[in-house]
Amino acid sequence: MAQLTLKNLGKSFDDTDVIRDLSLDVADGELVCLLGPSGSGKSTVLRMVGGFETPNRGAILIDGEDHTRVPPEKRPTGMVFQSHALWSHMSVAGNVAFGLKLRGLPKAQIRQKVQEALALVGLKGYGERRVWQLSGGQQQRVAIARALVLEPKILLLDEPFASLDQHLRERLREELRDIQRRLGITTLFVTHGQDEALALADRIVVLRGGEIEQVASPDRMYRGPQTRFVAGFIGSMNFLPCDMRGGVSDHPLFAVRAAVPDGPVELAIRPEALTLCPARGTGMRVHLVTDYGTHLLVDVDLPDGGRLKAMCPPSARYETGQEVAPEASHVALFRGDAKLAEVTLERRVAVHV
Amino acid sequence: MTDLASSGTRRTGGTAASNGRGLTGLLLVSAPVALLGWLIIYPIFNAIARTLVVQTETGTAFSVDTYVRFFSDGYALANLWLTLWVTAVCAALLLAICLPLALYLRFAKSRVAGVLQGLALFPMFVPSVILAYALIRTIGPNGGVDLVLNALGLPKINSPYLTPWGPIIGLVWDNIPLTTLMLVAGLGAVSDNAVEAARDAGARPLALLRHIIFPQIGNAMLVVLSFTVLSIFSAFTLPYVLGPASPEMMGPFMQRTFSQVMDTRMAVTQAVISFLICAVFGAFYVRSIAKNREARR
Repeated sequence: MAQLTLKNLGKSFDDTDVIRDLSLDVADGELVCLLGPSGSGKSTVLRMVGGFETPNRGAILIDGEDHTRVPPEKRPTGMVFQSHALWSHMSVAGNVAFGLKLRGLPKAQIRQKVQEALALVGLKGYGERRVWQLSGGQQQRVAIARALVLEPKILLLDEPFASLDQHLRERLREELRDIQRRLGITTLFVTHGQDEALALADRIVVLRGGEIEQVASPDRMYRGPQTRFVAGFIGSMNFLPCDMRGGVSDHPLFAVRAAVPDGPVELAIRPEALTLCPARGTGMRVHLVTDYGTHLLVDVDLPDGGRLKAMCPPSARYETGQEVAPEASHVALFRGDAKLAEVTLERRVAVHV
Repeated sequence: MTDLASSGTRRTGGTAASNGRGLTGLLLVSAPVALLGWLIIYPIFNAIARTLVVQTETGTAFSVDTYVRFFSDGYALANLWLTLWVTAVCAALLLAICLPLALYLRFAKSRVAGVLQGLALFPMFVPSVILAYALIRTIGPNGGVDLVLNALGLPKINSPYLTPWGPIIGLVWDNIPLTTLMLVAGLGAVSDNAVEAARDAGARPLALLRHIIFPQIGNAMLVVLSFTVLSIFSAFTLPYVLGPASPEMMGPFMQRTFSQVMDTRMAVTQAVISFLICAVFGAFYVRSIAKNREARR
């Protein structure tokens, strides 16, 4: 259990700034997800914490102790890699026991700790197998056991489930969350999957171009994005450009009232904040209905050539070409990248065909 | 009944398209197989037969007299031991020089690594005879090194020219590029993440080499050893130009037995013995590869 502090971190590769003045505090036992598009610097931050990259500027503190220049083999961190990075010439138990052997622990203690670690990740009895005899999910469990058996203060995970299929990813995600809570280990998790971040994290850090865009809980990150980038990056979002005139948007569909200065804005509406009502003569027609089982995602063509996505209950029935009228319950207003306001609208009717 | 019969026919006969593909494959393979048979397999068996079959007044007879002569001749055995010793020293030196070089080239991210790779490959483009001449002019008697030492008022070096160390220096220099390339290729199997995971688990450089890198490049090291043995046993120019006159390495020994002693059968016997020693290393290598593949199944 430990606290991690990143102070004004900066990293450049070939004169290109990859991380710019990044500061972050991760509390004891907290699971923080670093989320961002490719090239945003999330893996570089993780590798700097693990000691595999040295920052050009700033400091990395673990429990208040400076570890900025400490090599990986001397850091109290444990890392799980996307590619599992298991040693194929060793058995499963050999992989898990490697770090313990280097620390010179007695054989009986090593055997016991390896068994405990394998049991923790649901691989009891797999110790004697070769790593290539395991499935991708089992291999990643071995990698997690290998990192946890050394009882690191900070657990680092670099897109650990990226190479696994959806079903397995979800299962392992739940198991990892369960293990992390049970052990209360401070964890930094890198992912580019927003669903993974929303499901796992205590807090999410969205990175963009080597800088922190927003730090918030999953709930706040999804429902209250502070920038247009975060609004577009986390979940689906409909962006409708229009102008504000005297405190009212001039969008033909959504006349939003907000105390913001006149000028161009973008109305940001989540698909689940839209309700579709059957209507005639609106010029807005259903383009495509995708059934996800738990909900329908309806694409609606607008008269101006734009398109809206609306999330509807699975019981709703829409036909391609059917005319509809959308209604929004919650709208955020952005100008440039900055959020100007959030408006909750009163619904007139909520009817699903 | 009819169905079973017809499916059986399909299975044995195959379709016209699959038959055509099979024939094309056989034709493609036949050329290299024919070359292998003509240029390698046939000469091996021909050479072995020529050493074992002698012409007598009454016809031909089986005899191992040349082998008996070789293994009872102190000079021939001294030549064989010298060749084996030079091979062992060269293999050890090549591993000692090329392994750190290959490790650096594989894991270094700096621009210096690119320059060093170019320099390491340079000897590949220098013909052996030019290399031999260059070595004579530098480390030979009154060569470049002696001139520099003399100018500094220091005594001359004990020149390795015409000693076993002459061909060793030349052969090591000549084999550095291929050995380095093979080791770098072998190290390609060790992923960056595997090394980082080991460091993360607490492995320092020596532990990393011993527990992670060496076990994963075992095959590459076997290939290097096999190629070193094969190339040094078959080396001629460098041992001939730089090596001692007596004892001499197997290459010059064979050539001299053939062209000066004019004992063709003995020269072929020497070649067969050299081949059998190389074949032992080759078999060892093939066995290790097969064992590894079997274990991975």
